[in-house]
Amino acid sequence: MNDGVLIAKNLFRKKLRAILMIVSILIAFAIFGVLAAFERAFNAGQEVSEDDRLVVVNKINFTQPLPISYFNRIAAVPGVRQVTYANWFGGYYQDPKNFTIVMAVEPATYLDITASDFAYDGAMRERFERTRTGALVGRQLAAKWGWKVGDRIPISSSIFQQKDGSHSWEVEIVGVFDKNKPQVDTNFMLIRWDYFDETRSFGKDTIGWLILKTDSPAINDRVSETIDKMFENSFYETATDTEKAFNKAFMAQLGNVALIVTLVVGAAFVTILMIVGNTMVMAVRERTREIAVLKTLGFSGARVLRLVLGETLLLALIGGGIGIAIAAAITASMRDSLSTFVPNLEVGPGIVLSAVGLMVALGLATGLVPAWNAFRLKIADGMGRG
Amino acid sequence: MLKQIAAVTRINLRSIPQRFWPSLSTVVAVALVVMVLLSFLAMSAGFRQTLASSGAEDVAIALRAGAQAEINSAITRDQVRLLEDAPGIARGPDGKPLVSAELYLIVDGIKRSTGTKANLPLRGIGEAGPALRKGVHVVAGRMFAPGSNEVVVGKSLLAEFSGFGLGRTVKFGTARWTVVGVFEADGSVFESEIWGDLPVVQSLFNRNNTFQTVRMKLDGPGALAALKAYSDHDPRLKLEVKSEKEYFSEQSSQTNDLIQKLGWPLAIAMAFGALAGALNTMYSSVASRAVEIATLRAIGFSGFPAFVGTLAESLVLAGIGGAIGAVATWLVFDGFTASTLGANFAQVVFSFRLTPATIGQGVVLALVVGLVGGLLPAIRAARMPIVKGLQG
Repeated sequence: MNDGVLIAKNLFRKKLRAILMIVSILIAFAIFGVLAAFERAFNAGQEVSEDDRLVVVNKINFTQPLPISYFNRIAAVPGVRQVTYANWFGGYYQDPKNFTIVMAVEPATYLDITASDFAYDGAMRERFERTRTGALVGRQLAAKWGWKVGDRIPISSSIFQQKDGSHSWEVEIVGVFDKNKPQVDTNFMLIRWDYFDETRSFGKDTIGWLILKTDSPAINDRVSETIDKMFENSFYETATDTEKAFNKAFMAQLGNVALIVTLVVGAAFVTILMIVGNTMVMAVRERTREIAVLKTLGFSGARVLRLVLGETLLLALIGGGIGIAIAAAITASMRDSLSTFVPNLEVGPGIVLSAVGLMVALGLATGLVPAWNAFRLKIADGMGRG
Repeated sequence: MLKQIAAVTRINLRSIPQRFWPSLSTVVAVALVVMVLLSFLAMSAGFRQTLASSGAEDVAIALRAGAQAEINSAITRDQVRLLEDAPGIARGPDGKPLVSAELYLIVDGIKRSTGTKANLPLRGIGEAGPALRKGVHVVAGRMFAPGSNEVVVGKSLLAEFSGFGLGRTVKFGTARWTVVGVFEADGSVFESEIWGDLPVVQSLFNRNNTFQTVRMKLDGPGALAALKAYSDHDPRLKLEVKSEKEYFSEQSSQTNDLIQKLGWPLAIAMAFGALAGALNTMYSSVASRAVEIATLRAIGFSGFPAFVGTLAESLVLAGIGGAIGAVATWLVFDGFTASTLGANFAQVVFSFRLTPATIGQGVVLALVVGLVGGLLPAIRAARMPIVKGLQG
């Protein structure tokens, strides 16, 4: 009988107790997995943002407009390699409840600047530039409504209105695109800004924000300063920031997600640490005589210590493994229904890795006291007790 | 029989210190479960309370159909005029209708706790604006003067965000604004806003002749229906008219749902973990008292007192845990202020609120854990064969 078998037999000698401990561990890890997935999804915007991409918004707030003339003026700033602009459309499909992310963009440059995130092929690019009422739709959004290339669909706005009083714009789907990075979602639609601007009843010749690429991240600060300086004291002052800082500040507005996750996961782990730690102390104490026998048979103190630690480690890995699997299943089931608000919800490799780390830490922490007791146990005491 | 039950229960409870560590682990586990649940419920109750206190039953709000939130809405000057002549609207002492056409914009402030930019609402309000809201009064400085580029800020906004202190000048585009007053508004969402004079806000933000919402004081119980009918039957209006109360309860439901949908499943999942711990503790308690239970049975006690005693021990431990959890949550979170993005895309400041009803839910959850966690071990205690127990 090798040590592994001995460890497993020890763990499951009282099945109910072992199962209860596994249940409490798996719950803690399921909570950890789900919450960590949420936190990661919330911060995905920072991860995918590229170092050389800057965002220019109205200094008053990013919901305030900027004039379209800024496009050419910013394009002329030294160090700006490429620039594009977009306007939030406030879209929904058929019913206001079906909130849909729609942006009105400048067709050629917008696709260029976001080409590292999304796979637009040459054909759809060409059709989008040619078709004034054209729309490009992400794979996920297209799948949600069963849209395909060539469909003409009405897309409504909760903010804007057409000159004829209607809130709905008819667009023709000219392409369905996929993503290039795992962290992004394709749950949105792009329509053409020129078509949108010409038909809307107010806000003509304004845009929501500009995105630009600099020649190198090293000159980001200089470029943003130049731009903001250029428009200082004008009616439309600008605030230029890296895409990463912009996304980070936006997520911070929702509240401190990271803090909530840490507190709840912390509470769950303190709970199981107490429960499993105590139970293991009891389990080892019950076995005092047995451990004395093992030592009599020539098992060294270190080996006994390893046996007990092995047992708590095995327990943590079984419980944690099942817990993470459950978390993956839960996030997978929520993913589609939440993708408009929390894109790309998943238990990724990074989360699994930190979970394994936590399992090892938990296994060692809960086994420490009982293992130490077993290590120190004197044979005569052990035989006498129990 | 009752005497037996009392005696065994007493023995059970008095012997808890002998099982100090396992008992403590149950108490701590239950306390943490209750804390997690109560903090989420307190967050949700606080948010709901802030929005609920914002909406008046006797004030109607008109939005563009389909807009859902003030920030998306757009109303023309002609529509405002039509609404001023609508039926069911109360009039002030001067005979003017109590109507406030408003413009709702978002400006940047800095959130004190994170140092990051945050969306703050700037509302241009009409003359009747403050009077249409409950309990509005200036606590420092004064109200803005009509026609001037002055603003007043809500008390909560001032506490959570920097950049809008009394006497400060803020610059939006080319225009400078002076903060001349701080106001309270019954703890409502309006305390998270900045208010200025409507015509000035319109002109300095280049939004001449555009409005977003119209608030109207109703003159009686049937007035809302009359106003709705008036708007529906005039093709120039066709606005969405509802009571302000209804509007805000719709606004609170989304965020609130999210908080509650997160809080309860988390607490229930954690309760299962704590339950596993409670079961372990109680099984080991029964095992460690096997000799004692068997002895009592041998001298004529029935199994039932052993059952009750074990269950009582479990309930007491869970009850203590629940109480500690409730007190700890109260100490840490009651009155704790936080802010998040509301449906209007701007920050809403709210305080956590721990109500007796919420605490009740936490204690019930704790006792359920104690009950279920004690039940099976109690049955085992009652059924333990005497001979086996006496062998130790």
